[in-house]
Amino acid sequence: MSTTEYAHPEALVSTEWVAEHLDDANVRIIESNEDVLLYDTGHLPGAVHVDWRQDLNDPTVRDYLAPAEFARLAGRLGLTPATTVVFYGDKSNWWACYALWVFTLFGHQDLRIMNGGRDKWVAEGRPLTKAKRSHPPTDYPVPAKRNDDEIRAFFQDTLKHSQERKPLIDVRSPGEFKGEITHMPEYPQEGVLRGGHVPGAKSVPWKTAVNADSTFKPAAELRQIYQGTLGFKPSDDMVVYCRIGERSSHTWFVLTKLLGFEKVRNYDGSWTEWGNAVRVPIEKP
Amino acid sequence: MDCSQLDALGSVGMVESDSHYPAGLQKIIDLFQLLPNEEKRETLISYAEQAARWVPKPGEAYDLEDVRKDEECTDTVGVYLRVSRERQVLFRVSLGPQVQTLTRAMTSILCRGLDRASPEEVLEVPSDFVPKIVGADLVRARSHTVYYVLTRMKGIARAYLNRERAAAS
Repeated sequence: MSTTEYAHPEALVSTEWVAEHLDDANVRIIESNEDVLLYDTGHLPGAVHVDWRQDLNDPTVRDYLAPAEFARLAGRLGLTPATTVVFYGDKSNWWACYALWVFTLFGHQDLRIMNGGRDKWVAEGRPLTKAKRSHPPTDYPVPAKRNDDEIRAFFQDTLKHSQERKPLIDVRSPGEFKGEITHMPEYPQEGVLRGGHVPGAKSVPWKTAVNADSTFKPAAELRQIYQGTLGFKPSDDMVVYCRIGERSSHTWFVLTKLLGFEKVRNYDGSWTEWGNAVRVPIEKP
Repeated sequence: MDCSQLDALGSVGMVESDSHYPAGLQKIIDLFQLLPNEEKRETLISYAEQAARWVPKPGEAYDLEDVRKDEECTDTVGVYLRVSRERQVLFRVSLGPQVQTLTRAMTSILCRGLDRASPEEVLEVPSDFVPKIVGADLVRARSHTVYYVLTRMKGIARAYLNRERAAAS
């Protein structure tokens, strides 16, 4: 594999590429944001909306959709298993990567991220519209299973990982990692009782992987950071986490799609589970 | 629905509530409670787009100004208060570009809904109006800053009243 190319270059598309495929029937553009009303204020022409909470999460239990519900969502969005799905969104694509990771749980094959996200598209003066284009619904086949085992880590998995001192990445801000703050900088408290990090975790903030304009750093630079400086290997069995799993989805995308790491799981329970659990070990600072 | 249609609609179909709100805010709450979800979203967008109307105006004088970037908010928010001789408040609010759409909408709603209320009435506004307007499904983790602007408005109203009391004693 060339060190100057991403491991899966097809997983990342430019704003130019998206602009050329806005009317491509085989491509569906999906916006996924933290700002719950941002899509309604204007979005890429033809783009549909996926709300991380309403569309991807179970409405009652803290969990994701069941396969049948995913099939209904994909059908409503007009997808077939062959559709190329391109995600973009606010906050440097945190929620776009989260949505991509959830779609990966259900085995949809061709999933991509628009590099730079919504901010880059807007900064380039490209068009936004409030018009919602409806795509003919499809009968998307129900996936046989949700691939939790492959790309998702639960609490017990993460505890075992920590006890065995396997590679564990905390992608939160340094203040959160050190336990100095129990909320994300610039965000309200999200109900965490304890500060600190999972024992053995390395602090590698998600931001490490992006440029100032929210685009991903070049492959060679990412390799230098994650493999050179930090010493991780593509064959490592790794777990990544943040507070609720969206920033760690971003790092999961970097490690798996851009750098080709083979076994990376996202601990979506993250710090809002770990930092509230009783008698669970915490390292501080 | 364009939020400018509110005045024409008046207080049609008042919805009963245990809480007491200033008249202008009550009117907005009543309207939102009658709207189906899709129109609720559209009206919120309309309010968000009108947030710029409530920025401080050149030449306008204020009794108090509070401009700061709090740790809990994504961007700088400035709150400006003027109280008339009739003890009616006028709020102006400046929002940084990173402030979320819902918070922009709430800013517009509060500036309009609290216009001409007394500082005491502002302090008494219960925050339970937020889910009535926004809908419970939009008030969630990562959108709690919708409460932030009300907190800041109450804060500046409290500071005004404290200053007034100090001057009187």
